[in-house]
Amino acid sequence: MAVKIITDSVADLPSKVVEELGITVIPLNVRFGTEVYRDGIDLTAEQFYEKLENNQVLPVTSVPSPGTFAEAYDRLAEETGEILAIMVSSKLTATYEVALQSIGLMKRKCRVEVIDSQWAVMAQGFIVMEAAKKANSGVSIEDVMNVTRKNIPRVDFLSTFDTLEYLKRGGRIGKAQAFLGSMLKLNPIITLKDGVVEPAGRTRSRTKAIERLYNFVMSYSCVERIAIEDAACPDEAEALAKRLSSKFPEDRIYRSKMTPAIGTHTGPRLLLVAVLGDRE
Amino acid sequence: MKEFKSANGQDLREMLVAATRWLEKSASEIDALNVFPVPDGDTGTNMLLTMRSGIEEAYRAPDQSASAVAQAMSKGALMGARGNSGVILSQIWRGLAQGLAKKDSFNGSDLAAALIQSSTMAYKGLSNPVEGTILTVVREAAATAQEQATGGNDDLQSILEAAVNTAGESVANTPSLLPVLKEAGVVDAGGQGLYTILEGVLRYLRGEEEQMQFRKPQIIVSDIPATRAPQMIVADEVPYGYCTNLLLRGEELDPDKLRMKLKRKGQSLVVAGDEATVRIHIHTYEPGRILNYVGSLGTMHEINIRNMDEQHQDFLEMQREKTPTADIAIIAVVAGDGLTQVFKSLGAIVVPGGQTMNPSTKDLLKAVELVVSDKVIILPNNKNIVLTANQVQSLTNKTIEVVPTKTIPQGVAALLAFDYEVDLRTNTQLMDKAKSAVRSIEVTRAIRSTKLNGRKIKRKQAIGFVDGNLVAVSNTTTNALNEVLAGIDLDEAEVVTIYYGADTKPAEAEQISATICQQHPQLQVEVVKGEQPHYNFIVSVE
Repeated sequence: MAVKIITDSVADLPSKVVEELGITVIPLNVRFGTEVYRDGIDLTAEQFYEKLENNQVLPVTSVPSPGTFAEAYDRLAEETGEILAIMVSSKLTATYEVALQSIGLMKRKCRVEVIDSQWAVMAQGFIVMEAAKKANSGVSIEDVMNVTRKNIPRVDFLSTFDTLEYLKRGGRIGKAQAFLGSMLKLNPIITLKDGVVEPAGRTRSRTKAIERLYNFVMSYSCVERIAIEDAACPDEAEALAKRLSSKFPEDRIYRSKMTPAIGTHTGPRLLLVAVLGDRE
Repeated sequence: MKEFKSANGQDLREMLVAATRWLEKSASEIDALNVFPVPDGDTGTNMLLTMRSGIEEAYRAPDQSASAVAQAMSKGALMGARGNSGVILSQIWRGLAQGLAKKDSFNGSDLAAALIQSSTMAYKGLSNPVEGTILTVVREAAATAQEQATGGNDDLQSILEAAVNTAGESVANTPSLLPVLKEAGVVDAGGQGLYTILEGVLRYLRGEEEQMQFRKPQIIVSDIPATRAPQMIVADEVPYGYCTNLLLRGEELDPDKLRMKLKRKGQSLVVAGDEATVRIHIHTYEPGRILNYVGSLGTMHEINIRNMDEQHQDFLEMQREKTPTADIAIIAVVAGDGLTQVFKSLGAIVVPGGQTMNPSTKDLLKAVELVVSDKVIILPNNKNIVLTANQVQSLTNKTIEVVPTKTIPQGVAALLAFDYEVDLRTNTQLMDKAKSAVRSIEVTRAIRSTKLNGRKIKRKQAIGFVDGNLVAVSNTTTNALNEVLAGIDLDEAEVVTIYYGADTKPAEAEQISATICQQHPQLQVEVVKGEQPHYNFIVSVE
């Protein structure tokens, strides 16, 4: 009766990791006009970015329904008495709230705890992975929750955007607002801080922006895991992964694709590195 | 399917959650209705965030009675209210909570009575209520609900149905009540937001939760024809000083008295709350006086003061002129309207000056004293200004760092290296390093005949410099620039930016850009109207 871990598709976890660790992933919804897709299930990242480029209608995202959560809870409740849901930053979507609220809709009796990871993408993914590893070792839900809370400040990410248009349009631009309206073409570098989008720098060229991502990883004194994610720019991601793999053991480096739900708010050509580790 | 003749607290919460999610789907479209160039920002998003905060609290209600949930919703909405529309929305929930006080559950006629309270409370929060807004929508919707209830109907769903219909008509009619909406050809955003929320509740009551997932709220389109193009309404809206927002906590606070006191101190006044917590929103020229007065009544929280003139400018120019952080300010010496815009858009404060019009130490000092920050970085952007900039430190108590940029490209590079996260010293080092990584090309005309680096130069001949060294002499500025570029290894470069001067034709710059692109397709070449005096071209290669 190990604790079961649930997260959402925003965590961008590679399917191999999801399977190995027995994580349940609840998809957000992505909608192009009237076509609704379950994030990462009905629509792969590749298909999505192709649609994004070729479609007149811009996509929007919506949170998973309470029913989806309740169903997942009930299904897991058949195997366990304790479920921990670790969700994307509550400041970016209402997914966390829905996860909380869906507990009331359960048909079975089971303890469900929900934690706001305050992150997204693989930064969130790493928190979830560590929680799942801990849970699989058979400890109590309290222990898993403790590990999870401890890992929240231990993850971070840096990403470079081609344009902030999508982020702005999706209403998630946060403090990166200050980057809008520049007279020069710039490559914005963005992270999350306390769950909100935060500017981290700007460069004139893409190469320099990628250099910033590389230096960000190198600034850690101890790196446990690295993830490199891309939205329709796999070559750059591969190159960066290759460069990092000369510095770090390859089994610590993960490659992932930006899920459509995130891609909706970032647009294509986003490159990102996430790290679990310690700076001092 | 559940029939809703009446509802308890849990039902109420579910309704509001459904309504919030419904609102979320169209929040950004409601934002787009916000044609006013006022800095209250995005109505849809603000209302959404206010709802979310309310719902968060609603989950913490001490029991499942309608009264307790409504009370918690009201408290949460008040705490999380954002923007004008958010504050008014929080008042609506406050009225509703009062209307549902002591009720375990409520039916249609209870709701009607509570909505009347909501409407009263919404009007009460404003010193100068304006019709054709969310206020009209809540008032008319409440009136319809009341009519139905008086007629003997107490079925929750059918009463809400009637209220929602009225709300929709009311929204569609807002342009005829508020000229600014009519001019823009849109309905009131706040009214639309409220309609969407009520509609979300109704759909939930009808058991349409499934369908709600795949549909989204409709933005009401007014039949009333627009009188003018939207972009032209800007001139009529005059921004007013500082948009000041805060939450006051204390004991025995009197919102009505506070409203009276603040009424003459500014515009767009909203005062909402109770004895313990009051949210205040005001547009004022003197935020300091507001804070002094309000601060004497209790403790202040979530204080947010924004300069609306600046934001008005943003609206007009679609650009931000923010300093990167309030902590460290950057002052740059720049000449030319275009270059000034470039520096401002990157977050610097500009002191006019450059070649042949070097600012004095006093000019720089004045700018330093004017900025809010205690730490200031100066970018002289000219070798003749570096020393002047160095003098400033001895004249002020503020901490000054000078990054000795000698050209405009160095200044831009330094500015971009600014890191929001690190301290002054580290930033100075980062910026200093960045300035050295860029090459600066300047092309101007000789003001007299001379000999330089063994080259003869005639008066008015075009001369080109790389990082201050003469490398080209030619009869036309274009040829001089091409000659300079020919001597530079562009294979290693990534970005070339051409700032063309006030006396230079854009076509000349475009021509040069095209040539570079042709020869070096890997380069990112950008042409910017710099409008700088004297220098026909300033080019950065990085």
